[in-house]
Amino acid sequence: MQKILSAKNLQYTYESGKSRTEALKGVDLSVEDGEIFGFIGPNGAGKTTAIKLLLGILTPEKGELTLFGQSPREPKTRQKVGYMPEIANYYKYLTPVELLKIYGNIFGINKDLLRERVGKLLELVGLENEANRLMRTFSKGMMQKVSFAQALINDPDLLILDEPMGGLDPFSRMKMREVIQDLKLKGKTIFFSSHELSEVELVSDRIGILCKGHLLATGTVNDLLGDKKAGQSLENYFLNIIGEKI
Amino acid sequence: MRAIWAIAGGMIKELIRKKDFYVLLIFMLVILGVLSAQTFFQIEGISRYVRDFGYSMVMLFSFIISITFAAKQIPVEIESRTIYPLLAKPLSRYKIILGKFCGSMAVSVVSFTVFYAIFISFYTAGGEIESLSLLGQGFIFGILFLCMTSAFAIFLSVFMTMAANVTLSFLFYMIIGGFSSSIKEIIFSSKGVVSVLYGILYYLLPHFEFFDLRVRITHAWDPLPAWVVVSVSVYTFVYCFMLLSAADRIFRRKKF
Ligand SMILES: Nc1ncnc2c1ncn2[C@@H]1O[C@H](COP(=O)(O)OP(=O)(O)O)[C@@H](O)[C@H]1O
Ligand SMILES: [Mg+2]
Repeated sequence: MQKILSAKNLQYTYESGKSRTEALKGVDLSVEDGEIFGFIGPNGAGKTTAIKLLLGILTPEKGELTLFGQSPREPKTRQKVGYMPEIANYYKYLTPVELLKIYGNIFGINKDLLRERVGKLLELVGLENEANRLMRTFSKGMMQKVSFAQALINDPDLLILDEPMGGLDPFSRMKMREVIQDLKLKGKTIFFSSHELSEVELVSDRIGILCKGHLLATGTVNDLLGDKKAGQSLENYFLNIIGEKI
Repeated sequence: MRAIWAIAGGMIKELIRKKDFYVLLIFMLVILGVLSAQTFFQIEGISRYVRDFGYSMVMLFSFIISITFAAKQIPVEIESRTIYPLLAKPLSRYKIILGKFCGSMAVSVVSFTVFYAIFISFYTAGGEIESLSLLGQGFIFGILFLCMTSAFAIFLSVFMTMAANVTLSFLFYMIIGGFSSSIKEIIFSSKGVVSVLYGILYYLLPHFEFFDLRVRITHAWDPLPAWVVVSVSVYTFVYCFMLLSAADRIFRRKKF
């Protein structure tokens, strides 16, 4: 299978004044076409940093990184990438329709197609009644839905979701899992991060466990649990493996 | 191109939906209304005050809109984290800068046009329309002025907070605008290497006073010769281009 995403020895250090934080200490990742990859790790593990590198928002200080075989720093590489950030916040003086249209125009989507897609996406996330309301009045969960919709505006081949389930209620989570699985059926590749294993376990084909900037393990849920599967949840496995490292 | 307009278009909606513009508009209407009402009672020389004050208000208010909008764009995007989905789009960084610049321009030109139209209607209310071409030049200079102020504030905004940016822009506006001739005197009375350094510094500073036609418009003098208009336009384009390229260079290296 073709590699959609490949990273070798990815390193990144934040420097602010005298303090240095080594957020990624040499991470190898590869995601294949059409799979759902769950990227798990506790808070501060470096997930968001890795995602910012994948999107070309930050430049790796060491290592190689390609999306679709190209550098993510090149704008055109991101033409078929959708991204839902960890914190969903959008321009409060706009409506969801206006926001999606602005993003659609940035992607250069044809006008009629864009109008149709905006309607469909807002319906998909259940915001059709709030489509023309200013986002000033939106709750966190509603912003999250806008955020998910905007990630799909370009009909991406690779969808990168940073803790997508964060502010959602159980029903919306279930709905989002369904949508993610639907997207997989349509041949999309999905890379999503989470600190909640139960979420990842349910939808991922493969997972990678990140802790303190190191990738501790990658594989399918079955691979990682091996024959210990009986009675052991991924949660336990996760706690064990992190415990060993600490 | 479409991407740049998409970013700019969002800023126009922001202008329409926030109250900054309306507050300034009402303020201006009230002041001009009061001043003109006094003209009506034939107080000598008052119509010159209307022109003087009205023109200054148009420039100051447009300046305020342009500076505040340009100065807040990037810092607010970073603070509220709306910058992340934007950076992840297939956009070069310079297009974000250009989009923000075009948006600031659009917002300030719309405001300026409304303010200036009101000013002209007060100006010509007394039946004086002899200086239409001067008023036309005033309009062109106003737009060039807003080009300068928008580019200046966008440049500062890639490394400064909004408050610092607005303060600094105001200082430049007042000091260079108000004391330009005294500054010039100091520079040209200095000698040797110092005078060269001063000279370079002086020409590098943004000269907001080039665009000020207050005295000319107040006294309804003759319009400026064409070569002045052309030179000031060229100056503006070169200066804005330099500011925006510098902004792009800094923004591209910025870590988020
Ligand atoms: N802008 C930043 N400046 C300095 N340190 C940062 C910054 N962003 C993240 N960090 C640090 O980098 C590490 C990894 O953070 P992050 O990638 O956000 O983790 P995660 O998304 O897994 O919770 C943490 O120690 C965090 O404090
Ligand atoms: Mg994170």
